[in-house]
Amino acid sequence: MSVVDSMPRSIRKNAVVLGLFAAITVAIVALIQQGTASRIEQAREQAQLQALSEILPAGSYDNNLLEHTLILDDPLLGNRAAEPAYLAFLAGEPAAIILQATAPDGYSGSIRLLIGITADGNLAGVRVLEHHETPGLGDKIETGKSDWIHSFTGKSLINTDSDRWEVRKNRGDFDQFAGATITPSAVVRAVHKALQFFDAHNEQLFASALSSPTPEELP
Amino acid sequence: MFLSQVTSPHTVRHDHTRNIMRRVILAAIPGLLVSCWFFGLGPLFNVLLCSLFAAGFESLVLKLRQRPIGFYLKDYSVLVTGVLLGLALPPWSPWWLLLVATGFAVVFGKQLFGGLGQNPFNPAMLGYVVVLVSFPVDMTSWPAAHAVTFSGGLSHMFAGTPWLDGWSQATVLDSLKNNQGLTLDELWDGYTGFGWLSSRDSELVNLAFLLGGLWLLHKKVYTWHAPAGMLGALFVMSLIFWGGNGSESNGSPLFHLFSGATMLGAFFIITDPVSSATSTRGRLLFGIGVGILVYIIRSWGGYPDAIAFSVLLMNLCAPTLDYFTRPRTYGHDKAKRGFNTEGQ
Amino acid sequence: MSVNYRELTINGLWKNNPGLVQLLGLCPLMGTSNSTVNALGLGIATLLVLACSNAAVSMIRNAVTPAIRLPVFVMIIAALTTCIELLMQAYTYQLYMILGVFIPLITTNCIILGRAEAFAAKNNVLSSAYDGFIMGLGFALVLLAIGIVRELLGTGMLFANMHLLLGPIATNWTWVVFENYQGFLLAILPPGAFLVMGLLIALKNHIDDRVLARKPVEVVTSAAADRRVRVTGVVE
Repeated sequence: MSVVDSMPRSIRKNAVVLGLFAAITVAIVALIQQGTASRIEQAREQAQLQALSEILPAGSYDNNLLEHTLILDDPLLGNRAAEPAYLAFLAGEPAAIILQATAPDGYSGSIRLLIGITADGNLAGVRVLEHHETPGLGDKIETGKSDWIHSFTGKSLINTDSDRWEVRKNRGDFDQFAGATITPSAVVRAVHKALQFFDAHNEQLFASALSSPTPEELP
Repeated sequence: MFLSQVTSPHTVRHDHTRNIMRRVILAAIPGLLVSCWFFGLGPLFNVLLCSLFAAGFESLVLKLRQRPIGFYLKDYSVLVTGVLLGLALPPWSPWWLLLVATGFAVVFGKQLFGGLGQNPFNPAMLGYVVVLVSFPVDMTSWPAAHAVTFSGGLSHMFAGTPWLDGWSQATVLDSLKNNQGLTLDELWDGYTGFGWLSSRDSELVNLAFLLGGLWLLHKKVYTWHAPAGMLGALFVMSLIFWGGNGSESNGSPLFHLFSGATMLGAFFIITDPVSSATSTRGRLLFGIGVGILVYIIRSWGGYPDAIAFSVLLMNLCAPTLDYFTRPRTYGHDKAKRGFNTEGQ
Repeated sequence: MSVNYRELTINGLWKNNPGLVQLLGLCPLMGTSNSTVNALGLGIATLLVLACSNAAVSMIRNAVTPAIRLPVFVMIIAALTTCIELLMQAYTYQLYMILGVFIPLITTNCIILGRAEAFAAKNNVLSSAYDGFIMGLGFALVLLAIGIVRELLGTGMLFANMHLLLGPIATNWTWVVFENYQGFLLAILPPGAFLVMGLLIALKNHIDDRVLARKPVEVVTSAAADRRVRVTGVVE
């Protein structure tokens, strides 16, 4: 009898203790979370800005890029879902845009890119956000591994003809790497398409951001 | 009564390891000569350097392990590892690449497991994969046939001078893998040095290894099971998934049999008695597995050729294959196969 | 119960090292040891969680019944890990992004629950905290050693990107050890972790053998302690 009687009591006691510890640990985590929330937000924003500012030269814009964004979805950009684009202004005039694009045909899957284009249609810079290319061969598209990605800077639809947007091996203007052709040519084609997208929607992009400060669906 | 306990296999052969290994090296000579005809003395230098390094590493580890060096060197097994690596690696490979490959093959692939007979993986293929994963650029720059001068090759090998334009060429398997939108006819028309089935150099080198392998079969160094299994599986797979001449084609069956390291793999690599399966049926399955994997990786994987990866993967399966293919013991009706037969 | 701090130190750093002898926490050991900065970052995070969780567990060891002991321990460890994760996010954001899933995974690191069960649940706060600290240090040092070897072999450089952890003062710490180094990719890729780890264990066993050979008298007395112990218990 006594065993049966005492069982609910011990269960109750254990439950209370367990609940107490849950409450204490949650309280501690919540406290730390409260304390660090603003700093985390700041750090995240700074990291994002840092990545964006590598693409556009300092002094070429004077607004906070994270405050002027558009949500873009267009087949020319190749993204799987709508992605944000960042607009840069200098003294209220359109200066540049940073687009997110995806090259779907890398050697092993998609390559995600950040592409900076100045308002007059020149490439300001390209960076790779994410890729799965072979280490040692295709990963030379990263800035840390080689300078190749910088070769885009200054190119435009005007100074490079449409059929020159390929690697040299396919009779284009861009170098390939030793042992890898597919990766660089996928990136080149994706950048070319992003430029075409920008060319078609140039004024629309900047106008929509000037008229309303909040992010907006386009087109 | 004294009952001696002898574990299987119970067959007795009077060949010494040394004789077998010597024959394997002899049989590789035609392939080496043909290869030298296309790439100058590069393949020979590869083989010599690899053998030298292999013997050096073997002696070093044997000394550390306090084993008799001469006794083990005389079985020629480490020489076979060196020769096979030298043949498999791109001709005129930089000396340090050969050093790393043989080092991993002999030290990590063979001696760390206990030396000859103890290694679960084919040492040469292990060394090959290590450098393939580590130095992909050097491993994908095969010289073009008849292009490299002797001094150019030597300075590439020892001084690290990069290949001049036109001295290196993508292999046929590489070109096929990187093909974007050309039909096969167009692709091979644009490929300098294309022969009947594959590039002239790789089809003739493969033919030479095939002949060497047939001689080894004739000398009963190994049985037909593993090579037949691998070549048969590769043939059937490439027949099924051929795709004709279109731009999505995976290449014809004969193209696959005479490209890359197919014949070298079939007659010199997967026939390694240590790391492959031991029963004949096991060897047949082992070969079939390698053939299927080679085709899968070549056609849909990340590398143009795949002998090394396939052999290593099948090495992993060899103990299981042996377990399920134990031969019938003399005097019993039925071979017991599968798990859980021990206690019954 | 009196605690021999000297013994705790020797156990944590060498004799019962969590990385090399107990072989616990192998997943983060392999996953984050591809560069010095990653290794150091995760090593410090693990060390902090381990020391704090041991202290906390020891503090409440008399308040919980055996029936709910494990859930309470796990809750404490998970809370501490979350706190560390939040702090790293706030102060070393880029390193946090690189280490990614391995930080929350500290919760599931066997060393931490193991030390809580085997030591902190039976000893006072101070010695438990010390045990956690020294075990964490042993783990972090192994992680750091593997990280240094892999970074050096893989890239020919040392201490690249240390500013992610230590701030701007470490910006120029990158030390190019070998000029014109080809880069040995295998060392940075996952197989490199297993190879370096195996070689480190071999080195430790070799040193142990040497030490044993030099002191033949002590063989008998120390035999039990030199056995390779895979469980988390301290050999006493």
